[in-house]
This record gives sequence, structure tokens and C-alpha cells, in this order.
Amino acid sequence: MSRAMPEPGENTHRTEPDPRVTGAIRYAQDVELPDMLYACIVRSPYAHARVLRVDTSSLPADVVALTPDDVRALGLYGCQIKDQQVLAVERALYIGDPVAAVAAASPRAAREAAELIEVDYEELPAVFDAVEAMQPGAPLLHEDLAISDNDAAYFGMRPEPQRNVCHHFRIRHGDIEQGFAEADVIVEETYRTPSAQHVPMEPHACLARWTADGRLEVWTGTQTPFNLRMDLAGIFGLPQERIRIIAPPMGGAFGSKTFVRYEAIVACLARKAGRPVKLVLRRDEEWLTLNRHPSTIHVKLGARRDGTLVAKQVTCWANTGAYADCGPGVAQKMGFASPGPYRIPHVWVDSYCVYTNLPSNGAFRGYGATQAVWASERTMDLLAERLGLDPLELRLKNVLVDGDRYCTGEVMHDVHFADCLKAVAGQIGWHEGRRGKGLAVLLKGMQTPSRASIVVEANDDGSYTVHCATAEMGQGAWRAIRMLAAEQLGVPVERVHFPVPDTDIVPYDTRTTSSRSTYMMGRALVEAVRQLKENGELGYGECVNEGGLDPDTGQGIASTHWHQGAAAAEVRVDEETGKLEVVHLHTAIYAGRVVNPPAAQLQNEGSMIMGLGSALFEEITFAEGQVTNANLSDYNIPAADDLPRITYDLIERPGAEIHGLGETALPPVPAAIGNALFSLGIHVRDLPLTPERVLEASERRRVRSAAPV
Amino acid sequence: MAAMEIHFTLNGQPVAVQAEPDEMLLEVLRRELGLRSVRETCGLGICGACTALLNGQPISTCILLAPLAEGCEITTVEGLGGHHPVQRAFEEVQAFQCGYCTPGMILTIKALLEEQPAPDEETIRRALGGNLCRCGCYLKIVQAAQRAAALLAEERRRQPGPGAAPVS
Amino acid sequence: MARPIPAWLAPTSLEEALELRARYGEEATVVAGGTFVGILINQGLLQPAALLTLRQIAELAYLRVEDASASGKPLLRIGAMTTHRALERSPLVQRGWPVLASTFALVASPRVRNQATVGGVLADADYASDPPALLHALGASVVARSPQGQRLISVEELIVGHYETSLRPDELLTEIQVPGGIEGAVYRKFRSRSSEDRPCVAVAAVRREGRLRVTVGAVAERPQYFPEICALAEGQAGIDAELAREIGERYAAAIEPLSDARGSAHYRRRVIAVEVRRALEDLHQQIIATGGGSQRHV
Ligand SMILES: Cc1cc2nc3c(=O)[nH]c(=O)nc-3n(C[C@@H](O)[C@H](O)[C@H](O)COP(=O)(O)OP(=O)(O)OC[C@H]3O[C@@H](n4cnc5c(N)ncnc54)[C@H](O)[C@@H]3O)c2cc1C
Ligand code: FES
Ligand code: FES
Repeated sequence: MSRAMPEPGENTHRTEPDPRVTGAIRYAQDVELPDMLYACIVRSPYAHARVLRVDTSSLPADVVALTPDDVRALGLYGCQIKDQQVLAVERALYIGDPVAAVAAASPRAAREAAELIEVDYEELPAVFDAVEAMQPGAPLLHEDLAISDNDAAYFGMRPEPQRNVCHHFRIRHGDIEQGFAEADVIVEETYRTPSAQHVPMEPHACLARWTADGRLEVWTGTQTPFNLRMDLAGIFGLPQERIRIIAPPMGGAFGSKTFVRYEAIVACLARKAGRPVKLVLRRDEEWLTLNRHPSTIHVKLGARRDGTLVAKQVTCWANTGAYADCGPGVAQKMGFASPGPYRIPHVWVDSYCVYTNLPSNGAFRGYGATQAVWASERTMDLLAERLGLDPLELRLKNVLVDGDRYCTGEVMHDVHFADCLKAVAGQIGWHEGRRGKGLAVLLKGMQTPSRASIVVEANDDGSYTVHCATAEMGQGAWRAIRMLAAEQLGVPVERVHFPVPDTDIVPYDTRTTSSRSTYMMGRALVEAVRQLKENGELGYGECVNEGGLDPDTGQGIASTHWHQGAAAAEVRVDEETGKLEVVHLHTAIYAGRVVNPPAAQLQNEGSMIMGLGSALFEEITFAEGQVTNANLSDYNIPAADDLPRITYDLIERPGAEIHGLGETALPPVPAAIGNALFSLGIHVRDLPLTPERVLEASERRRVRSAAPV
Repeated sequence: MAAMEIHFTLNGQPVAVQAEPDEMLLEVLRRELGLRSVRETCGLGICGACTALLNGQPISTCILLAPLAEGCEITTVEGLGGHHPVQRAFEEVQAFQCGYCTPGMILTIKALLEEQPAPDEETIRRALGGNLCRCGCYLKIVQAAQRAAALLAEERRRQPGPGAAPVS
Repeated sequence: MARPIPAWLAPTSLEEALELRARYGEEATVVAGGTFVGILINQGLLQPAALLTLRQIAELAYLRVEDASASGKPLLRIGAMTTHRALERSPLVQRGWPVLASTFALVASPRVRNQATVGGVLADADYASDPPALLHALGASVVARSPQGQRLISVEELIVGHYETSLRPDELLTEIQVPGGIEGAVYRKFRSRSSEDRPCVAVAAVRREGRLRVTVGAVAERPQYFPEICALAEGQAGIDAELAREIGERYAAAIEPLSDARGSAHYRRRVIAVEVRRALEDLHQQIIATGGGSQRHV
């Protein structure tokens, strides 16, 4: 192992400098082809409107336009529900929904041409809140909710047509009525979390061309090359092998560069133009592309006087926006993360994925867990207060341990929740006084079922090439896989190459999401290297992760292994302005086995910092469906000077499996900070914890304590 | 009025480029000169992904009208050669994930260390305030700045005398 | 496509610039540092027919102290093209007007400060900028020049609204004048989100020649100043806690705050009361520390 590890300075003089420090790295936005045109999208200014007429007559002759008529006959797509067409053909469903597109000789010419397209609309009533969208009489977004044949629709989906519900996931464990009857105390609260933007530094970028023999080739920043290929095949009615996806490294993704984004539009333009077409999104368009699900979560939690949990009922409304995208999956994860890592005999969860006239919401680092942990872990502190118990003791009393059954029925193994909680409590001096301190614990599943495969090839010069679809978005996956391969092959890491993934060459992989890549590829690699050692030329390995839940009862295998972690925060509040200062943030994450320590540390630090942004100020604001802060001046993300003292433990165990670290630390961070505020008597239900909300909540406290008992 | 010709020094070489007067330097560096280390994220001067040095000082090329570069010295990360002490420090510490913000960070730190050879952590964080890293590598970037300061000091010790200007 | 390509006008002398400014009037957008102009162009909000840059006019970038005001007190003269960075690092400013140096250092990032100019931030008159409130409280004025001559405009009269000044289309802002004789000066920037954000509430409090001036920025279309409230401090040696609180509350009541992404009107009103009071407390401490004299401020 030690030979493959990068020693500090190892790479500085002997080898080429890293392309990231020289600026030589080429992202999707840097890909160019001779003769290519540049695309620009025409978007709906209405949240819900019938598209009556798209007039391109004032366009210059050298501009190629794509209108609803061009795409009407193409297939519907959607990675989980087939609810989307290449353009909004009949109705535009959110402000920003693409209704037309152009391709021109320069980005500037394309922008100017897009402004010349005239579209007539008939405005229709719209709905923006998920709870309202489920009420009878709410405007209906989609008539048919066909389940996708894309393998991202891997779980039993339960759409409720005519009701704006594209998935209803349930957990039915025990007898909830009886559970609450056994409880000595019951606490109940409703929480809201806002939409948030991934803000990858590199915007979405893609380039498409059609070869002379009618194959489609797409270069795109994507975490899901094979899912993208499946949906494009459906849209164009082509066999999958007629489509080639090349996935250069990305300047950040965090879930935003998944499934079909603009690849279909660009491919249509390229086909019409007979030339390659490239699109690089303007920054404000990112807010119109994919965001995080706003949520409303109601929690009812019952316990015995000694703190033993007996019943928990949770209802989640995940607002998925105009198109489902992977919202059903997010709602499901939100649902099965919401009970928390506790032994609770009676659990009842309903998680709805709801359409509204907002931009689509999809995968976002944390994948539903951020919302669920906020609600679940804030409620644990409400209960602790009600019972007069130490929030840490309350958690330790109920937390799952090896051999326990989760509410999905599966038996837990390699369980470290208590270790994580104790570690974070120790690091923020929990036992020296709890004022201004808070903690939270997280359980998050890995995508199950899924499949990963890898090919390792021996080259003539004694080096090796790894062919694998894992996307590189900064998480260091390519390097980690190279290191694992080098370790198993017994060669220095420099002798293992990792070319940019190309679906024509690499074997199938589910997708680079859910922090599963290193884990799954690591396992597949063992077999691939074994085969290669046998034949000296080529090895193929595959890792299949089996399981799944019954969507009507939530029983089965939610995850073959669990991401586990805890966070603790210490805060100070300026009581006069409500300004919250996080003094210290600590997380403890179960890492199993760490392959590449600097990359693991970076992933964890990045997760914590993103959690801090979600806790303190990240929030997309809307006015009647219109994003009102679609730029980095009005939407702040954390900067270097915003950081508190940040520390963490990556807990390893000899012989353990690799655990993905990409998104474990994020979800518990806002909840730990919210609980730290609560220790001061300030109970804020909704994220983010803006000074305004904190001030308002601290006033409520004053009023409450001033009121006669 | 047509496009104009703009002259400046890019990474030590004199260049002449065609640009329209209301184009930003970022567009011109990418399109006319093929530089890829200057990148757009915000287009508002906020994030620093488009940072270049203008006469040694960091600026946002996304909001600098290209003709304002006339007669100036422009430095991008391509001009540092790959083994500049700040670049070496970034590699040693592994102070990057996706690498998109890295050139801007490196240039900002280079300019800082030329003015303040041994800044404390607070000073570094403030100097980096306007360089956003969405991957969240800030802790390691601050470490890299400190490491770079040490590497530069070492270099100055090895080549003492008034000629010990920072290498680039 | 027939997009009009703007003319690039780059005069090398002030005289030439004034002549071009008069000739083009509103047709030409003046470019100082160009940070704001650049953003407008990027967002498609500005398609200028001509761009008139002051960058090459060397005579517009300077920092000088003169004993020119009527009272014989020193006067800081800042050329309009002086960058924020040059101002914040000038030993002259750091010594004589430390609050100016520290406030300009709070603006945006070093990158923006390397580019943005003192003339630009005033001519811009963005309600969410820092320097206007401070310069207002310091009693600063600007020199506006046209081929017809020049006039001196107080910052108070210069900024008439959000992005609106009293400059005429044929005028250029050429100089900023900041009087000395300051007994104490404080600037507080309250941010509600990231440390990189613009202010949610900004308070400048200055005592000069025995007079208090409190200006609140970033809360309304233009800097907010209420001489009748400040007059409460008239004739007082310092500003005691009670007076500070009262002035804060009166400012909060007098201002009609706006709502934006950084805070609602309601919230801003709350914060104004607190931040004005705190600014006055800081000012009081400063005055006590310097014995009410002007040791730290020229
Ligand atoms: C990312 C970012 C963050 C910022 N954050 C802050 C902050 O926190 N606090 C803060 O105070 N400021 C902040 N600013 C600065 C900001 O308010 C202005 O962008 C800047 O001060 C303008 O200066 P400039 O020299 O670049 O002006 P320019 O963009 O050149 O000009 C601004 C306007 O004034 C006119 N003009 C300029 N000079 C003259 C002149 N001499 N005579 C007549 N008209 C003239 C121009 O025509 C234009 O309309 C920020 C700017 C950016 C880009
Ligand atoms: S792209 Fe220039 S500062 Fe963000
Ligand atoms: S390394 Fe990805 S943005 Fe900084």
C-alpha cells in the first residue's frame, strides 16, 4: 500500500506537474471541434403556459433554429418518469423551461439570435408549493406518468396520476397507533428547507455531432454517461451502441451534472445544422437547470419518560419542480433517512415527490438526507428538552448498534453511530458545558441496487490502462482507482493510465453518484486484476450490489452499506441582530478504509463547508416561480473568510470496506448548528439560519419565557 | 467602428490581438490566445475563476474591458511554468479537487507573497476572500499558501542578495 | 448580425476627455475602473455607442494633502482615477484619515479594489456600496468639471438616488475632497450573509469640529443622514450610552428601509437602531482614547 501512496512532494519534480496547477486540464467547456456552432436556449417567461406559436422568421439565414415542431415526434424521456420532451412542446411548465434554441457562429451571435425568436403563450394557473400542489383542484402538470425504462428507475415507483405526485414511498413498520399510545411524551414539529443551487464552478457544457454514418457523439460534463446514453437512445429511436458519450473531467458537479440536461437539445441542433454544436450555459441558467429539492417535513416522535423511543411518524413533501428527474429517488431516500439511525419499534413514513411549476430539482450532494436529517435531528433535541435529558445521552440510548434491525427490516452491520457521536461530542467539549453546542447524527444509504464494471489492460510498454466509466468531478476518483489498481498490480501509480471515459470503450457502470464509485469500482477491480494476472493481457471485473425496498412498505434492503457520521457545532449569537457565528465545527465520519488520504480529507472538508453554506445562507428565492437570486452576488456561497474552526475525524477500521465520503458530512452540519442554537433557547424550524430568522426566533423565546406559566 | 487591435505583454511575450471594445479580457484571452486557465464562473467579479495578474496585481478578467489591458503586463498561470513554488506547494498539499479555481488561487497567493512574504493565516484568508472554491478546499489552500511562503523563503536564502526577486 | 460596435475613446489628457464628454454626452459611457460597466455589459444591460475611458489620464490619479480649507484645516484631495487599493495603502491616508483606509479595505476583494476607482464608486451611486456613506459623513465633496468650468458638489448633493447622481451629461467627476480636523470617525459594515457580501446595514459616524454626523448606508436609495437627530449630541463632550441608544432609535424610526436579498425592511430597521448605537459607542471610545483631540486624525 505504502508504495502507491503519494508522499508529500512526490510529484513535484520527477513527473509532469498536475494539469490542475498548470491550467492545462481540459474540461467539457473546453472541448472544441472544427466548424462548430454555439447554442443558446430560448426560455419561457411564464411559470405555466400553453405554447401557441414560435416564430423564427426574423432570424438571419445563417442561424439554425430548433422549435417545438422539430422535436414533437421525438421520444419522451426522463430517468425515472418519462415526463419530458426535448423542448416544451405543448406547455411550458416553469419560468425558464426551454421552448426553442438556436445555433450560430459565435456565442454572442447565438445570444442575439435567441432574442429575435418570438413566442406566443397563453398563461395558465401555476402552483409552487408542494403541499398546495397535492390539494384537489391544483393545476395539474402532467397527464401521464409513465415509468421510465432507464435503469435509474431501479425501484418500484408509485406515481399517483391526476394528483401531481410522481412517487409515494412508504415505510410501514410496527403499529404506529399502538406506538404513540405507549408513549409518555410526544413532540411534533414541521420543518422547511429551501431550494439550493449546486453552483459548480464550471457551468453545464456539452458538444454534440453526428457522424457521416449517423452515429451521435456527445462530449459532456456528466456523472451518468450510461444513463444519458439510454435516454438519448430513447429520444432519437437509436440503439444505444449508435450513441457515444465522452465524459471529460468536470469543474465540479455535486449532483447537477446527471442524466439528460442539454445534450438532447444540442444533438437536435447539430443534426439540423449538419455541424457540431456546443453549449456552455450562462451562469444564471444554472438556477433554471437543476436545484435541490425544497422540502416540508412533518415529524411526530413519541418516547417513554426514560427516553426510549417508541414511535415515529414522518411525512415528507419533496418539491421536485416541473419534471421528476430523479426526484422519486430523492423522495425515497429522504423517506428512509428520516427515521434516523435509531431503534424505533413503530415507524410510519410517507414521502411524496410532488410536481410544481418550479425549475426541476434533482440530485444534490446529500440526496434527500440533508432535508431528512434537519427535521429528524432537530426533533431529537426537542424531545431531549421535553424530557430534561442530555441530547447526547438520548441519542446514545437509542442509536442502532451492530445486529439491530433498521425500520426497513434489514440487519445492520459495521455500525459506528455511537462512535461518531462520542467523537464529535468530545471534540467540542460537550461535557464541559452544553450552552451554544449542538450535535446531529446521520445515516444515509448507498444506491442499491447498482452495478459497476471495470477493464484493466496491459500495455506493451509495461504500463496499464484502466477503462472505467467513473466520472471525475474533483473527488479524485480517477486517482483513487489508479492507486487501487497500482497497489494490486504492484506497480507505481504513474504506470497506470486512466483515459477520459468513453462509452464506446468502457464497460457499463450505473453512475457516479451516491458516493459509491470508489467502493464499487474497488471491488470490481480485484476481479479484473486477478483475470489480467492470469492471462497477461486483459481483465474484466464487476461488482453488483443487490437489494431494494418494497415501495409500499419500505421493507427490504435499503443499502448494502451505510454512510454514517455525526457533526457537532459550537455557536455564538449576537442577540441584538440575530447574527450567528459558528465558532467550531467538528465531524466524525466512518470511513472504513481510506485509499487516498488527501482526497478523503478534501471530500470531507468540502462536504462540511457546503453544509455550512446550507446552514447559514444558501437559499434560492422565488417570486411567483421566478428565481430572484440567480447570480453569485445575490446567492452567496461560503468563502475562505466565512469558515469557523473546522476539524474532523475519519474513523477507520482495519480490514474494513471503503466507504464513500463524498456527502456524508454535509447533512448533519445544518442540524448540529440548529441544535446549538436551540441550546440557547432559539428554535428555528426553517433553513437557512439567517440573522433575520434567528432574531425572530429569539424574540419568540423571550415572549414565551415572559408569558405567565 | 470595427474591432480594434490591443497590445500587451502576456506571460512575458508581447502580443497583439483583435477585440471589440466592449469585450472583456477573459473572452479575448480564451478565444484569441487560447488560454484555458482563465475561466468564467460568475461573470461579476465575485469568484476569481478568471483571475489574471495585471502589472503583478490580481484582477477579474471577466469584468475588465479588453482595451484596458493596452500596454499592461498580463500574467496567467500558463506563464508560471509549472514548477513555481506556489504551484509546487499546491501539489504537495493537494490543495485542489476539480481544479477549476486553482489558477486563480495560485495567482492571488503569488501576488500576496510578493508583498507579504510571511502572512499569517488571517491575512491569507482575507486575501483569498474573493476567490471562491465550491469544492471547499480552503483549508488546504491556506496550508498551500503557507507552504509556498516557506518554499519562497528557502529560495531567497539560496540566492541571497538584492537580485533575489521572486522566480516565475 | 448588425450589432453596433461601440467606439473606444481613450483620451490622454483631461482637457481632451472633457471635450469628448461634452461632444458625446450620454452617448458615451464613462469607464473608470470599469468594474460596474463590465458587469452591465456582461448582463446585456448596457450596449453603449461609445466607451470613454479615463484610464490613460495620468493627471487623474493622485493623493495630496493641502491646507486649503477656509478653517485652515488640512484637505485630502483624491484624483478620481485613484484605485481603492492605492487609497487604502497610502501612508498619507493611513496616517491622516485612517477610517478611509480601513473602509476602502472592506470593499469587495483585492481584485475589485485593484480595479475600482474612488471616482467610480461615487459616480456609480450604488446604494449597497460602502464608501458613499463614509464620505458623506466625513463631509466630503467632489469636483465636477466640464469645458465650461468646474463646480464643487457635496457628496450629500451628489448622490440623489440608486445609481443616480447630480452630475450633468457633460461633466466628469475629477476629484474627491475630504476635509481634515476629524476628532473621531467610525465605520461599521454589517453583513447578513457571507463575509464577502455587500453591507446589509452600513453606519458611518464622524465627529468633526465638535459636530456629529451619522450616515447610514445600504438601507435606502441613498445615504441617510438626519441633522436634527445628530444635533442631540450638540455641546456634549462625549456620547453617553443613553444618547447613543436614543440616536439609534430615532434613526431607525426616521429611515424608510428597503428590502432586498440581504434583509427585509423590517429587519433592517431593527439593525439600524443597534448598529447606529454601536457606532456611537465606538466613536465615544475613540474620542475618550484620543482625549477628544485629533491625535489620530489630522
Ligand atoms: C464583485 C464586486 C463586489 C463589490 N462589492 C462592493 C462592496 O462590498 N462595497 C462597495 O462599496 N463596493 C463594492 N463593489 C464596487 C462597486 O460598487 C463598483 O463596482 C465600483 O466602485 C465602481 O468603480 P469603477 O471605478 O470600476 O467604476 P466604473 O465601472 O468605471 O464606473 C461606474 C459608473 O460611474 C461612471 N463613472 C465612473 N467614473 C466617472 C467619472 N470620473 N466621472 C463621471 N462618471 C464616472 C461610469 O460611467 C459608470 O456609470 C463591488 C464590485 C464588484 C465587482
Ligand atoms: S468569473 Fe470573473 S470573477 Fe467570477
Ligand atoms: S477545486 Fe473545485 S472549485 Fe476549487
